[in-house]
Amino acid sequence: MSADRPVDLPEILDGTLLQKPVDRRDALGLLLGGVAASVAAVGACAPLNAATPEERELKLLEWEEFTQKHYRRMTEEERAETIARLERLAKLRHNEDCTIATTDAQPGVLFGYAFNVSKCKGYRRCVEACINENNLDRHQDTQYIRIFEMENGVVNLEEADPTYQHEVPAEGHFYLGTQCFQCANPPCVPVCPVGATWQEPDGIVVIDYNWCVGCRACMAACPYWARRFNWSAPEVPPEEVNPNQHYLGNRDRKKGCVEKCTFCIHRTRQGRLPACAEACPTGARVFGNLLDPNSEIRWVLAHKQVFRLKEELATEPRFWYFSD
Amino acid sequence: MRRAPRATTAICLVAVAWLTSGCQRDYVRWDQPPPGTAVLQIDSATAASNAILEPGVLATVQAVPVKRWKGPGNQPFDVALRSATPEAGHSRVFGSITLPIALRSRAAALSQYPCTSCHQGRKVVMANQRISDAHNNIKPVHPDQTGAVCSTCHSADDVELLALKSGERATLDESYRLCAQCHFEQAEAWAGGGHGKRLDGWEGRRVVMACADCHDPHNPAVQTRIPFRAPQLERTGGYHP
Amino acid sequence: MHLWAFLLSALRSVTSGDRRYHLWMGSLTAIMLVGGYAYLVQANEGLIVTGMNNHVSWGLYISNMAFLVGVAAAAVILVMPAYVLHDVDFSRAVLIAEGVAVSALVMCLGFVMANSPGYPWKWWRLTPVIGLLNWPDSMLAWDVIMLNGYLVLNLAIPFYILYSHFVGREPSKKKYVPLIYVSVIWAVSIHLVTAFLFAGLPARPFWNSALLGPRFLASAFTAGPAFMILLLGFIGSQSRYAIPQVAIQKLATATTVAAQVNLVMLFSELVYEFYMPTHHGISARYLFFGLGEHHALVPWIRAGIFLNVAATLTLMIHPLRHNQRVLMVACATLFVGIWVEKGIGLVIPGFVPSPLGEIVEYTPTWVELCVTAGIWALGLFVLTILVRVALPIELGEVRSPYLEQETGTRIVRPRATRARYEDIRVRIR
Repeated sequence: MSADRPVDLPEILDGTLLQKPVDRRDALGLLLGGVAASVAAVGACAPLNAATPEERELKLLEWEEFTQKHYRRMTEEERAETIARLERLAKLRHNEDCTIATTDAQPGVLFGYAFNVSKCKGYRRCVEACINENNLDRHQDTQYIRIFEMENGVVNLEEADPTYQHEVPAEGHFYLGTQCFQCANPPCVPVCPVGATWQEPDGIVVIDYNWCVGCRACMAACPYWARRFNWSAPEVPPEEVNPNQHYLGNRDRKKGCVEKCTFCIHRTRQGRLPACAEACPTGARVFGNLLDPNSEIRWVLAHKQVFRLKEELATEPRFWYFSD
Repeated sequence: MRRAPRATTAICLVAVAWLTSGCQRDYVRWDQPPPGTAVLQIDSATAASNAILEPGVLATVQAVPVKRWKGPGNQPFDVALRSATPEAGHSRVFGSITLPIALRSRAAALSQYPCTSCHQGRKVVMANQRISDAHNNIKPVHPDQTGAVCSTCHSADDVELLALKSGERATLDESYRLCAQCHFEQAEAWAGGGHGKRLDGWEGRRVVMACADCHDPHNPAVQTRIPFRAPQLERTGGYHP
Repeated sequence: MHLWAFLLSALRSVTSGDRRYHLWMGSLTAIMLVGGYAYLVQANEGLIVTGMNNHVSWGLYISNMAFLVGVAAAAVILVMPAYVLHDVDFSRAVLIAEGVAVSALVMCLGFVMANSPGYPWKWWRLTPVIGLLNWPDSMLAWDVIMLNGYLVLNLAIPFYILYSHFVGREPSKKKYVPLIYVSVIWAVSIHLVTAFLFAGLPARPFWNSALLGPRFLASAFTAGPAFMILLLGFIGSQSRYAIPQVAIQKLATATTVAAQVNLVMLFSELVYEFYMPTHHGISARYLFFGLGEHHALVPWIRAGIFLNVAATLTLMIHPLRHNQRVLMVACATLFVGIWVEKGIGLVIPGFVPSPLGEIVEYTPTWVELCVTAGIWALGLFVLTILVRVALPIELGEVRSPYLEQETGTRIVRPRATRARYEDIRVRIR
């Protein structure tokens, strides 16, 4: 095959360099040798450390956490086991002593929320309380609640400013807050490929953080921008951690899962108001049981002119806006 | 064509029929729980007895029943009394921070309470014009706007009582009776739940705050303040090894 | 035993080649390793190392995935005529098309995994019984079934055909033709389902239109066959596996028609968005004109449309389409143009502005670029392997060594060393 080639012309010049046959065995050997060498090099730089008992326990618990079932398929014993494991994991990972509840929805309760646009003055006390109550990531500054400063006469969210940082209330402006509206027809629930998010009987749309695979289809589906993703491992200063937690609410989350407002499920299922409603200094937030005809939320719906955002999308949010 | 296409067509038709038959999602209204869950009607009284309040939620708040107003569903409700430590009833712990939850910092405004600390007898002669050295910490914005004088609201024969237009007297904790004389719409909303704050949870005993707890009666307008920090829209992410 | 021989001979085909081949595979491996490192970075640190954020929550990965599902679906353009319409001109090209489909699907799955990294085996939660597959509600669940099913189909059918040829018999039409029919419908479905993933979200008015599914199909049937033409041309020039010119021309015609339809749909979209603009069209305004000082995508989409229009016009001219070189350039241009229009020109504007009107732009970081490059390298690697395995069998140069025992013919096995690819001969005495 090379008989016709001029003898003294190097391969690089006669254009057959790349056509030169390569011995397959040599090639394979080179490949495997290269792989072995790089593995050795990498291995030398990252020594496998001998695990301490805590680290072994942590690894074992993390494996169990990874293989745990979907929350809705767990029996009572499995739930208790899961809670114990999560509390122990919080202790091992962050030295945190917490209590994680699994309180179910109370029968005959359907939560509703009303927001008084005249009363909100844009203080963002609700945001502050929410961050602390729900152990939100400080590094990414996750905030479930958004307060928009809007010019009087303009009800266009695109022209609203959520990043105002001046004395409020500003003349000629009003304030409107958004968060997860726990829609009755939630568009975020059917899109989850693994069924990690669902609506509880009391209306709260919840997420099993350990089941979520982080595909973020729900974030694309939400018309109200209610969901947040943990782009990195959430960091909460240990002295600011809220130890009263709920499995479906404000417990420790890991990177790679979606989270959102749960109407403070750890508080509201105990009969308390969500942190935002309780923190609001002006009483702009009204919360209660929609199925109770004597609740404040029902009074507002009956006596005030209410509206909801993006009504045409038929999401049926359980969050109304009204004014004085 | 041959046999295979017919079989495939049959399978496709069956699949389409099956898929289109069961795939409708029920349209749910906001006042219905998710499909497949039981609906029980429950009233406030039952809810109150079901309530599992955390200890200490209302421990710092003393309350008395509201006179002459009924809450939603004609239910009675309570109004918070001024307490010895006014801050306690008006701040809450969220996570690890304590936030004041009322608009008005009461301690400073009540620095001159009780009245008898200066006024030895309860009866006082109230001038129609302000005496130069009386209550100079109070800016009479609301009286000036409405043309009121001190005796319009404060009873001359008992300085710790409020004077209602009907001739009755109300305690300082019943400021709602006074304010409602003019602000009847807000009073209705307050009784119903659309105005003002509720101090306990959403179920259980309804304890609200009186008007003067949030609104300084002499300068009731909401004051401006600097808000909590704004969200960062542009994330400065990235990996810097 | 034939199977074992098949696998061994496949391995032999894949690992033997000249320096050019090994350089190609080596470079792809290097890029894959870089991509792998970047993937590890994002698996360790979280996706914060990418340019995605709570506003633009899908970025380069899903863009590429949407584009590649189209390329995978486009195999049907060859499969349909070859098997269903019995067009013999396509019969040589169809196996290559299925190989393209497989590698495109592998890339799609790679991008899905890159989009939500961490331990890749968390995807066990998608399996029906031990996990929870939210079917039929979730479009993504449909997509999972469709993509994996299509992958299986496109592995099974060519494998059956190649294996049959390898062991010296004709593949039984009764066995694979029903699967072909299924794969034809399936191919159209995978892309429609991927389109519905976007179009089914009322939260995103930029995507929420009935035209998105057909647009996806039109652009898929443009980009896929364009790539096929490039690949077949390359194979035809580098090996003895020549594709008849008439098949290439038929493909080119199909590509041109699809490109024209794609342009018509684009025009329809533009009229819909800009004739009487509403708030629903603000994402389109961001994409084509920018919003205030936010205009990062405008040069991209304009370039993409320009490339599409230029390539389509070129291909519409008969003599130009018949010119091999012009055809290749036009196809490459079309491929890139569709990638811009359908990849970043589709996914990113859906998130800008956010549903609450906030504008946060998106710029991919080096991590995303490296992972994307790594996955494309992986796809090309898989494609090269599949083509490298298929070609000798289809050329009749490689048969099972055990055939001589069965059929009594003697086959000289190519020697393991010093064998040039072109020198492999089969002699039957």
